[in-house]
Amino acid sequence: MIEGILIGVDTAFSGYNIIMVMLGCFAGTIIGMLPGLGPMSAIALMIPITYGFDPASAMILMAGVYYGAIFGGSTSSILINAPGVAGTVSSSFDGYPMAKNGQAGKALAIAAYASFSGGTIAALFLLVAAPQLARVSLSFQSADYFALMCVGLLSIAAFASKGQFLKAMVMTALGLALATVGQDSLSDITRFAFGNINLMDGISFVLLVMATFAMSEAFMIIFKKMDIGFKASDVSKEKLGSIKLSKDEVKEMIPVVGRTSILGFLVGVLPGAGATIASFLAWGFERSIASAKEKLKFGKGSIKGLTAPETANNAACTGSFVPLLTLGIPGSGTTAVMLGALLSFGVQPGPRLYVEQPELFWAVIVSMYIGNVVLLVLNLPLIPYIARILAIPKNILVPLVLFFSVTGVYLISFNAFDIYFMAIVAILSLVLRILKYPMPPLILGFILGGMLEKNLRRALLINDGSFSFMWERPISLALFIIMILIILLQIYQGLKKEQN
Amino acid sequence: MSINYTRISALIFLLIFLVYSYLAGEIRVFSFDENADFNARTFPKFISYLGIAVSFLTLVLSKNEDESFGQYEWLKVFVLFVLVFTYGIIIKSVGFFLSTNLFLLISYYYLGVRSYKTLLLCSFPVVAGLQFMLHELLDVYIRDPFLHYLGVIS
Repeated sequence: MIEGILIGVDTAFSGYNIIMVMLGCFAGTIIGMLPGLGPMSAIALMIPITYGFDPASAMILMAGVYYGAIFGGSTSSILINAPGVAGTVSSSFDGYPMAKNGQAGKALAIAAYASFSGGTIAALFLLVAAPQLARVSLSFQSADYFALMCVGLLSIAAFASKGQFLKAMVMTALGLALATVGQDSLSDITRFAFGNINLMDGISFVLLVMATFAMSEAFMIIFKKMDIGFKASDVSKEKLGSIKLSKDEVKEMIPVVGRTSILGFLVGVLPGAGATIASFLAWGFERSIASAKEKLKFGKGSIKGLTAPETANNAACTGSFVPLLTLGIPGSGTTAVMLGALLSFGVQPGPRLYVEQPELFWAVIVSMYIGNVVLLVLNLPLIPYIARILAIPKNILVPLVLFFSVTGVYLISFNAFDIYFMAIVAILSLVLRILKYPMPPLILGFILGGMLEKNLRRALLINDGSFSFMWERPISLALFIIMILIILLQIYQGLKKEQN
Repeated sequence: MSINYTRISALIFLLIFLVYSYLAGEIRVFSFDENADFNARTFPKFISYLGIAVSFLTLVLSKNEDESFGQYEWLKVFVLFVLVFTYGIIIKSVGFFLSTNLFLLISYYYLGVRSYKTLLLCSFPVVAGLQFMLHELLDVYIRDPFLHYLGVIS
């Protein structure tokens, strides 16, 4: 393990990869700051750029983008009460009141220190937890993987879709169905291509991600007439105020960071939970344990109220890498996009990754730490300048996002059909979004579809076509029980909602 | 049961998954694979069962929500969609540089940008910068008849 860590440190600290982390954090901060464009869009926009890179550098860049996007989302939450990312909504509860009270600089500093601490502590947890889980998962068989992927799909639908469980399940089924377009991996039989040569290789993952996130987000900005009316002068150094924290303020933050980084990491590890749930839970948890006097401050500019979600969302981001790197199962929509990118590099994440490609496995973990340092050292002092990006009017921003999305897809195939197909998918996604159909389950279904079929095929062939593996193997049985519990929980919540 | 947009969408999904189910049964498999425990039809069939079940439940159980499409900018989105489509049509024949600049300039103008300085600064340098990065730094060659005609690229 020590040898692996040293290889990872060596890879992550190479000049080239440090530049990648810095670029990733910087680009992520800018994109994450823009309302509507979250980490998934940011990472999707980076995929075409990384095609010439080696997998380790590409993953390092994307991890940087992920962190940067979360940090950028916090900035717009605090400054203009318009979270760029769902995971930073709860940061605006106390961050925005602080900014209104003339303490925007302080609020941004608290967000940066809390994010740094949460990310760092969680990176240490990841360092310990990932190899252990990778070792355990070596005993997993096809049936267990199949069950685990089903749990992942169900959890994303249940917990990450804001009470729209059935709609999320429709999107999961649609994602799985789209994954079956093209050649069957085992028999080479072409399915659902309707004689169209462009569909015989299947639907491109980058195309689907770009269309459902980046491009449909751009359409949504126009569609909903979103304009934040922000001026560059609003973030002048004078208006932001000091970014220095007093000793008492730091003392107030420390215990909150300790508690909520553990909470955030654990929530992040769970499939489907992620940064949004972690940040809300952390804010609620800190409020519930606060004294009556402190409780009154929550929502009005409380330091604890800002520290808690900021620590938890960064810790959860790190935690979500645990199932991705050790099991090959993404725990969130964003890590699902990363999984797709890794697969397109020919890298199969999972327990073997830890053994076969330690440089990639450890370099990603080490670079997360570097990313946190970069965000603190570089991005915080640059906030008055970076935040000017919020002043870009939508009539400039939207064509640029459309251009980058189209170019990204075109550069992979040089096929104009992909552009038409992408535009149609983006319009359909826009309509589905308005009808509150969540998109992450679609992406996760699409990415896991191929692996799900492969593992189900193996499990069924080993068991002579019988589904007995569902109750004969203890791991599969436990996972299927979890699935039943998730479904029962959804039914219970539905009935409770009905009664209310 | 009242009709709303969610129910209409669920009905469309139900029809899609019914058609998908039919097409899954029509997938040609090798004769020796016809009665195998798992063949190219098996997984799509499972997906269709899932899709039919969840879209049917959405159709039956969905509640009336606030759904209004009137206040949105449908026309602007449609025009942008047409522009993206047209961009796709001309990109091969006209080339990346010219088609992209045209797409950006028309989009900016349509969305209300009138300053010539902004129009030019937000299109030509961006496209040229990206194309330079692709050609010179990432070794990604984009065929461009226009720049080839001008003698900028070989």
